[in-house]
Amino acid sequence: MDSILHKEYTVVQDDYVNAGKVSSDIKSTLSEIGISPKVLRKIAVASYESEINLIIHAYGGKVFLDVGEDGAVYLVFKDPGPGIPDLEKALTPGWSTASEKARGMGFGAGMGLPNIQRVSDDFHIESSPEGTTLSLVFRSPV
Amino acid sequence: MRRSVVHYTLERCIRCMKCVKACPTSALSMDNDRVVIDQQRCINCGRCIMSCHNRGILAQGSTLEDIENYEYTVCLVPGALISHCASLEEAQDLFHAIRMLGFDEVVDITEYTALHLKEVQLMAGENTGDPYIASFCPVITRLVQTSHKSLLDSLLPIKFCSEIAAKDIRRKYPDKHIGIFNLCECESKLEYAKYPYGNPQYEVDHALALTDIFPMIRKNMHKGYDPVSFCKEGLQVCNPQRIIRRDDYLIADGYDKVSTVLDMAEFGLLNEFRLLILYPCFNGCIGGHMLWGNSFLVANNIDALTSQSSKKAADLPFDEIYTDEFSRTDDDSRSFLERTRFFRAVNEEFERLPGYDCSACGMQTCRVMAEEIVKGNRTEDDCRVLKALKEKNE
Repeated sequence: MDSILHKEYTVVQDDYVNAGKVSSDIKSTLSEIGISPKVLRKIAVASYESEINLIIHAYGGKVFLDVGEDGAVYLVFKDPGPGIPDLEKALTPGWSTASEKARGMGFGAGMGLPNIQRVSDDFHIESSPEGTTLSLVFRSPV
Repeated sequence: MRRSVVHYTLERCIRCMKCVKACPTSALSMDNDRVVIDQQRCINCGRCIMSCHNRGILAQGSTLEDIENYEYTVCLVPGALISHCASLEEAQDLFHAIRMLGFDEVVDITEYTALHLKEVQLMAGENTGDPYIASFCPVITRLVQTSHKSLLDSLLPIKFCSEIAAKDIRRKYPDKHIGIFNLCECESKLEYAKYPYGNPQYEVDHALALTDIFPMIRKNMHKGYDPVSFCKEGLQVCNPQRIIRRDDYLIADGYDKVSTVLDMAEFGLLNEFRLLILYPCFNGCIGGHMLWGNSFLVANNIDALTSQSSKKAADLPFDEIYTDEFSRTDDDSRSFLERTRFFRAVNEEFERLPGYDCSACGMQTCRVMAEEIVKGNRTEDDCRVLKALKEKNE
């Protein structure tokens, strides 16, 4: 894949105050280059959920945004651990392991991964105690 | 090309850059020592007008001279202005004073606002998906169209109440050459009434700015009373604390809060709500920039007036109030690849700029400056910080 636009972001663990800033930037970036509103909506939902996952569940992580010449949007969320113990369970709607602190702030109400899977055109996840990599693709007509 | 009611007066400008910095959409910049407003970016929120200490930026409406051109003239009065009356007597006095300006009839539009609200509630009641966004204010519509495009489908397609009112009134006088004047409490409604975003079917003939007209109204006060009655629900729409509340409605006011709410809606975080009612002005329409009263006191007036209100919501079929113009956005003629290339060039330029957002170059932020450099309108030498650093090193 030839990327015609590449951006990288760092997400810090437990940084609830800045939660959503990366997704906001992704959203406005893609809006500016003319990604269609309908696809934008799906990307907004998926990137926010994934960004929050890095803050709540992982030890922070990195986000990579790439755009293909055909208008496809590639998002990769990479964290250094601790990994998802039971991936099958995590892909079940309504399942949540968010801490009390996180839930108290309105985060982690479940519906994370299944929701992301629902809105993305391609969904790939690999997880081990050394880290999780979530790769998403959104196809958009341009 | 969009036109605007926001006017800039060079002689009054002291180049303090307050307006440039106040703009939430980076629509203002300083070019050759004068302020330039980018109409594609402007959402008519009026922050620049509020920020100017020298009355250098003002919204201009039509003049009363146009009254002469019609056989029969009607003035539409918004609920936010009525709310500035502490009692029914004061409202009767106000309506008389407005009529004395030369109108044949003065109409309060609260019954049409109530109709809008009723329709919004009906649609929200049937909503099973993402929350709808009620558009009582043109700023909200513009904000969604420009910065939250993925929510376009959630904007409820109902006309603004002044337009609904104008159409209904016109129907009542089919044989007369009728002139409809809309008295506006803020620059966004003035803008919509004067240049209705390119809508050719628009029914209001002239938009009057309350700031221009109020001194004349004041001279006519205490001279008589006209019969007045208004609609409770319509009057309450003017204030987020008075409008009908429900657990599945989210009501927010103030530009910053409203824009956060729209962000959250885009992230899918507000799905437990059926309806978002948003006011860009703090305390809603009674906080409109052309009104003078303290909006907290005025909110209490609403309670006093609604106890004496007798009108019901207007009754019109849905296709009379429906509009399909909200889904239109400003088209960008550039292709996806051109836009991406431009964006990348701006990003690279932005990395070279200091990032202080000092506005000394005349642009609001380094980001806007980077765009202007890529467009070829400016050069890196126009950045005073870079220039100073360069001279120091030489």
